[in-house]
Amino acid sequence: MDSRKRLIPHRLRYSLGITLFAGLFGVGAMAEQGAAEMAAPVSETCYADGWSESLRCYRIPVGTDSANADDLVKLSVLVAPAVNGGQHEPLYLLAGGPGQAASDLVRLLNPLRKLNRGRDIVMVDRRGGGRSDAFDCGFGAEIPNNIELMTAQLAACYINAGERPLTINSRQTVEDLESVRRALGHERISLWGGSWGTRTALLYQQWYPDALQSLVLDGVAPIDTKVFLAASAAESALQELEQACSEDPVCAGFVNWRSQLDNLLANWSHAQASNFPDPFTGRPAEEPVETWMLAGAVRTALYDPAAAAQLPYAVSEASRGNYAPLSGILGLFADMEGAMSLGLTYSVACAEEMNRIDAADIDRDADDTFIGDMFIRIFVEGCKVWPVPPRPYDAPEPRDHPVLLISGSADPITPPKYANEQLAYLPNQQHLIVRGGGHINSPRGCVPDLILQFLDQPDATLDDGCIADIRRPPFAAGAFGPALMPEQAIPEADSLLAQEHSAGGAGENPEKLEQRAIPTEEVAGGDQP
Amino acid sequence: MNISNVIRGVKQMAPLLRKELLEAWRDRRALVMAVCFSLMFPAALAGGTIFMIKKQSEDVTRVALLGAERAPLIQQRLRSPNLEVSSLDSGSPRELLAGDYDIVLEFGEDFAQRYQAFRAPPLYLYINSSDTGSGRAQRDIQERLGALQQLVVTQRLAARGVAPRLLAPWRIETRDVSTPSSRGALILATVPGLLIMTLFVACLATAVDTSAGERERLSLEPLLLQPMAGWQIITAKTIAVASLGWLGSLLAIATLLLLMPVMPLTELGIQRATTTGGVIAMGLIMLPLALLVAVLQILLALRSQSFKDAQTQLSIFQIAPLVVLMALDIAQIKLSDSWQLLPLVGHQQWLKGLLVGGAVSPVWMIAGSLVTLGLVLAAVMVGARALRREGLLSAS
Repeated sequence: MDSRKRLIPHRLRYSLGITLFAGLFGVGAMAEQGAAEMAAPVSETCYADGWSESLRCYRIPVGTDSANADDLVKLSVLVAPAVNGGQHEPLYLLAGGPGQAASDLVRLLNPLRKLNRGRDIVMVDRRGGGRSDAFDCGFGAEIPNNIELMTAQLAACYINAGERPLTINSRQTVEDLESVRRALGHERISLWGGSWGTRTALLYQQWYPDALQSLVLDGVAPIDTKVFLAASAAESALQELEQACSEDPVCAGFVNWRSQLDNLLANWSHAQASNFPDPFTGRPAEEPVETWMLAGAVRTALYDPAAAAQLPYAVSEASRGNYAPLSGILGLFADMEGAMSLGLTYSVACAEEMNRIDAADIDRDADDTFIGDMFIRIFVEGCKVWPVPPRPYDAPEPRDHPVLLISGSADPITPPKYANEQLAYLPNQQHLIVRGGGHINSPRGCVPDLILQFLDQPDATLDDGCIADIRRPPFAAGAFGPALMPEQAIPEADSLLAQEHSAGGAGENPEKLEQRAIPTEEVAGGDQP
Repeated sequence: MNISNVIRGVKQMAPLLRKELLEAWRDRRALVMAVCFSLMFPAALAGGTIFMIKKQSEDVTRVALLGAERAPLIQQRLRSPNLEVSSLDSGSPRELLAGDYDIVLEFGEDFAQRYQAFRAPPLYLYINSSDTGSGRAQRDIQERLGALQQLVVTQRLAARGVAPRLLAPWRIETRDVSTPSSRGALILATVPGLLIMTLFVACLATAVDTSAGERERLSLEPLLLQPMAGWQIITAKTIAVASLGWLGSLLAIATLLLLMPVMPLTELGIQRATTTGGVIAMGLIMLPLALLVAVLQILLALRSQSFKDAQTQLSIFQIAPLVVLMALDIAQIKLSDSWQLLPLVGHQQWLKGLLVGGAVSPVWMIAGSLVTLGLVLAAVMVGARALRREGLLSAS
């Protein structure tokens, strides 16, 4: 989940709200070669960004039974062959979104390398995503920062897309997945789903139980959960961050950051929006950063505990008029949008989620939350220009496959309670909850080892004690980063002192200033009662 | 010599062959030596890889921190499954390294204050580079420190409104063209050499005994007085000696295959790709080579001055070709296909390919084996002529 590994966009894009279900792993996996046109699957050696070893790339035709010629698509399938094949069932990785491509998950192979020793790992780009004829509405890497502009572009895309928005849905994805499984000759498979991928996995389990060995679900979106109602989940994650901050001797120094954040969001002015600095150029952003983008950035930061750890400091600085730290947090996420094919996102989201959410649901969810309806609005507005018939799911039937659930206690989009409350129909489940964890925890700490143990012996109870060793990253305490010593920095005093220096020490030479800074900080350090 | 003559000659040879085989297989010392070496090297190889992986995965680096109270966060964040961190009040790095610790970290004066003032305080890393574990310890600690350092840098940049990505003007994507099978070739590269060496070692004692030994025991003279051609005597001896060598190498191949499942090859990213057909081919290609090694050893032993001299010469003879093979392997010289016609060089390449599941051409294997057999015939002829010389018996 190293954000530094992602591509650099040449322009800042703030539409972070779009990245709703994105797993936090990066973008840009790119298969290099197409496969030969053959009836039986023939693979070619290929590579994908983020994984140095070679992969087998397949092109599997799907939609052949349809009368409509447009439906015929060759799905891109990447297989990371097991070092020692044939020992275990293959593991299919299902991507989030909806709209993310499985080929983007190739980076996950690095932390999950051990899983690849005895199992093929298969990544199928669903129809309309990634390498499988991406339905991106021309958004590509450039998504407008403005809801009206984006909606207009979506509307134009819908009109030009013909029947396509009506055909793309989870049912089709599951059927395609099944075609791929048959084409590759896999008798039984296991599924790893991340974020929205857990929904796809749970639906596959409903429809093709016999082909399934076991399920690993990270950031669970149960079939019956209206996961797009994300305001209260985001609020809980923020409150958990508040709690963790108040328990941390250094972060506790930012006493009022939460109320400062509420203030900022409530009183964000046009001047503030227009002068917000761009983390790539340092100049004011080309387009104003409006309240919903700011709130969206805070929500997105909660996905990743390392970014969340910078929020108290950044908010505290912003409340004093220094927006740089907040802008820096936006810079951590700036290119996640590129990973989504928005035509796919809206086709699935509008038909399967937004159609079962009404205004009362939205009000109830938005009540008393920092983000209110600012996140779901993008979908409410988008689905108005993206008319698709509702595609409700049947009530899930009991399944006794072994299921491993993984949640982060501070996940702003798929909190652990979803898995706890909505999966009673799966009796054979184990739930790993990473304390303070954000969205997607499979790569962290000992989780890869636990996943391997689970896949090897799905019915054994995991010893998950090591999960407790996964901690929140240290909070940002000042411009210097995290504090090395708890009593060293009282953050607010530190900033006050810095102001004092800049006011009083204009004429002094820098060295003198530096020398003065140290003893005063020691005094401020709280040795005195 | 026409064909019926040869057949008659072979039939005539049967009692002699029986005698030679009995002598070879009754020599317990030679048998033990052959079996021991055949079992020993696969066992050593398996043990070595298991130990290596165990050491890599289970070894814990013991880190002593001096002055950790100046930066508790670092102390706290260094802890990981492979680092055992202890904070000490005092101690001399030199003594600590001589004692239980692999690495000593010492925090400079005013560490936290200087860190907060952006004055990059020094962090002293004491290592003992003459210690074998030092490299690993250094890697472990730098990996951990590097992650923490990255976190600090990210926070510092973000605090200034700078996207951390600006530090990476481009992204390097590594593309490794190796396959699990070619990675296996790297680790298993020594195996063909060792298999060939097994042949030499397993043949050695018997080869010396059946030639120089018989001469010293004065039993060679009565043998030469029998109504038999020289080639028959040499052939019988060669077969007896080669039988021991071949069985030795088969035993080694079998042991190796039996031990492969317990070797942590998968952890090294290596495929177990040896097929049944490959194993049979390995056994078959060793047979002509066993004959060649046996006949050459017998010839060398016959022309030596004494039993002792024979032993010395053969010892050198078994090392020389192996050195050449290893040199070829280490230098990674690309040989054209026709080099496979040369015994030893060809065998090494075939064994390597068969072990890691690489492509080995059966045509070249057959052609190379025929060349080897041709050389065996030639050597038998040379030996037969040598037996006719009077001087042979009076060598000692």
